[in-house]
Amino acid sequence: MSNNISEVVKLKRRLYIELLKLVKAGNLTSEISSLSERMITKDTPRYRCCEFKERAIFDERIKAVLGFNIAENKDRGLEELAASFPRQQKISSVVEVIDMACDSCPIDKYIVTDACRNCVAHKCVNACPVNAIVIIQNKAYIDQEKCVECGKCARACSYNAILENQRPCSRACELDAISSDSNRQAKIDRDKCVSCGSCIAACPFGAITAVSDLIEVAVNLFAEESKLAVMLAPSFLGQFGHQQSAAKVKYALKKIGFELVREVAAGAEITAAAEAEELTEKIEANETLFSSCCPAFKSMVENEFEELSALISSTDSPMAVTAAEIKSKNPRFKTVFVGPCTAKKAEALKDKNVDYVLTFAELLALFTASNINLAQITKEEKFEDAGELGRQFAYAGGLQKSLQEMVAADFESKQVDGLGKLKKELLLIKADKHKYNFLEGMACTGGCVGGPFSMINQNLAKKLVKEFAKVD
Amino acid sequence: MSKNTLKICIGTPCHLMGAADLLESVENLNHKLREKIELKTSHCIDNCCEKAPVAEFNGKVYQDLNPEKLDKIIRENIR
Repeated sequence: MSNNISEVVKLKRRLYIELLKLVKAGNLTSEISSLSERMITKDTPRYRCCEFKERAIFDERIKAVLGFNIAENKDRGLEELAASFPRQQKISSVVEVIDMACDSCPIDKYIVTDACRNCVAHKCVNACPVNAIVIIQNKAYIDQEKCVECGKCARACSYNAILENQRPCSRACELDAISSDSNRQAKIDRDKCVSCGSCIAACPFGAITAVSDLIEVAVNLFAEESKLAVMLAPSFLGQFGHQQSAAKVKYALKKIGFELVREVAAGAEITAAAEAEELTEKIEANETLFSSCCPAFKSMVENEFEELSALISSTDSPMAVTAAEIKSKNPRFKTVFVGPCTAKKAEALKDKNVDYVLTFAELLALFTASNINLAQITKEEKFEDAGELGRQFAYAGGLQKSLQEMVAADFESKQVDGLGKLKKELLLIKADKHKYNFLEGMACTGGCVGGPFSMINQNLAKKLVKEFAKVD
Repeated sequence: MSKNTLKICIGTPCHLMGAADLLESVENLNHKLREKIELKTSHCIDNCCEKAPVAEFNGKVYQDLNPEKLDKIIRENIR
């Protein structure tokens, strides 16, 4: 599967670059109010009624890129927010709906289209178990009050005239965390949302977004206020461009001003060792242990399977371990995790050692705004932070492989990726229908290489991670 | 035998705007078409980073691409 970049994504990334240029030039506060006017003109492609609405939506988007929750800062202007760096306000939730941008897609799950010919057979009427379909004005009509959304009518129709119609955001959410408010706009149920980011990637209107740390990082970096340590997720291979080596990425990060560049795979090795110890005890007691490295999986267990949450490993995640190590040696450094993940943003809010989380695209925008083109760099600086046991955490099954190597005792384990599949697996475990001591749970299909903010095809990403893991 | 040259920019601005998708789409072209094209990469084409991603097909530069647009360009201009 390719990560096709839509116009919405491009617009967002152009916005990153423009904002970063303002930060670099030192006129973020004075120019921010006119940015939407400059970027959205009468001639740029328009998707809403007029350029004024387009700009109003854009301004909301800017708030999220600045790192503020949109709803909470509805009444605050961009200038005021831009002047308030460093941010004092805490981020309350990572994934946010831009209400104005949400198109209030239809919520009726089954609708009859014009392809209905009012045929004699009336298979739809016959198929409906709750008598929700009647014929009105020569056409089948679904009484939405009665409809139980079983889909039998759609399957029965000889003309495929009945359409299954689900909002892209709620279809993407495997935890049913998205519903609609009274205005039919998407609403996120905070008790269910694990910040996996699927809905952000799915919405064709770009109406769901993640609150970003990008500008705060840039303010720190360009103003040289504090020293920054960047922590690259194990899945970073190939994410910075075709044939751009890991060593080159490290050199470029130092060049742009990061004081320290560290592989999170280093922390992953420590995580794996601690988890191996924990697992050894569990095997002796014939109990089950869940992996703890994926924050979205962990949150899902805590939210929906409270009785199983004691099975989650108490070991800190690779990001947490890496950040703690950096802070213990350099307490004044600020740490920036970079990866393909939104759930890490949520994890970081609870971890005092992780100051910021960026996506690969956000970091690439930082390079672009600084006129650094990795393809034109020839110098390199080698990574020597970790080996295969840590680096293979990037793909589904990697952690399981590391543990199989590190634990002396024989044990059965299982690897499951994707929140929907994990939910089913947890139901089995709840019913005590499992026969293994270790479950590796990854919210994204394919593991972190399949994260919502990965820049490249996940098969390619996995191949590159494997090569990198083997080399050193 | 390749008679056509496709150069895709892999510079950072182009990568940010989807150069990886372009490269992938070329590899997914049908075999007959693919073998007529020599694929090259470039560090920067024409300094037009504002209009990324950019590619050059048989000497002509195309800007603001996506896999669908590139596919059409290849099909219309292939020799």
